[in-house]
Amino acid sequence: MATLDQLMRLPGAMAAFEFRGSGELLDQRIAYPERINETTLDLLAHMCAANLSIATMQARGWEKMTSMKGFYPIQEFTLVGFDWSVVVSGLHREQFKGEGKTHLPPFMGVVLGNEKADYEAAFAILEEQEPAP
Amino acid sequence: MSIVTDLLAKPGVVAAGEYAYRGDRFSYRGALTEEYARMASIMCRATTMGVNMEGRMLEVFQPRSGLQPPRGWVVHGPDYTVCVMANVFCMLDNAQGSINDIVGFMRQTMAKAPSGLI
Repeated sequence: MATLDQLMRLPGAMAAFEFRGSGELLDQRIAYPERINETTLDLLAHMCAANLSIATMQARGWEKMTSMKGFYPIQEFTLVGFDWSVVVSGLHREQFKGEGKTHLPPFMGVVLGNEKADYEAAFAILEEQEPAP
Repeated sequence: MSIVTDLLAKPGVVAAGEYAYRGDRFSYRGALTEEYARMASIMCRATTMGVNMEGRMLEVFQPRSGLQPPRGWVVHGPDYTVCVMANVFCMLDNAQGSINDIVGFMRQTMAKAPSGLI
């Protein structure tokens, strides 16, 4: 499963964070405290939780209405800003739920500088499977 | 060529289109029906308006944040990805295309798009 330290090793990583489905910030790593702080990350986590939920609802509805498959479940939501992007995922929670586990891992996210951002590498880390016991 | 035509020529792109921020029109090309493209453009527009509002709130917490103004957003599903930059949307088959290439192309091409949502 992805860790904050793994996410911080991505090219251009500025911050990595864990949050609840309600958006509450749980833990974070910040590479440039003068540029991004905990308060900003907390609001960002709330934003991302909301957008991930909306995108999941839309993907669900889209698949039902169009019979097109392959959109649901949303694996990552990415916001592309002017200079930075933020990538978030709750995919591990779905895997845990599917396995019938009751203690679910947090949502995870990473803030990347756009110039060096490798979205596919971020997705790959966020989608890493928990090794089988 | 328009950005939509350029996008459709890229590997993995199954459909692409544009919508008006005021919500009264859209256009598209690719493997969608008119009705599905209309629905996709409404969903993309709604999310774009939402993230722009949220970006302005974020700016209050931290002025000159690198996230403001938002340029676009991406939702990555198991087989398909939706990429939106300004008022252009694109649906990508994950197995055939590169998300990095598409986002990079859209960011570059839409770099001078006004951020006023007009």
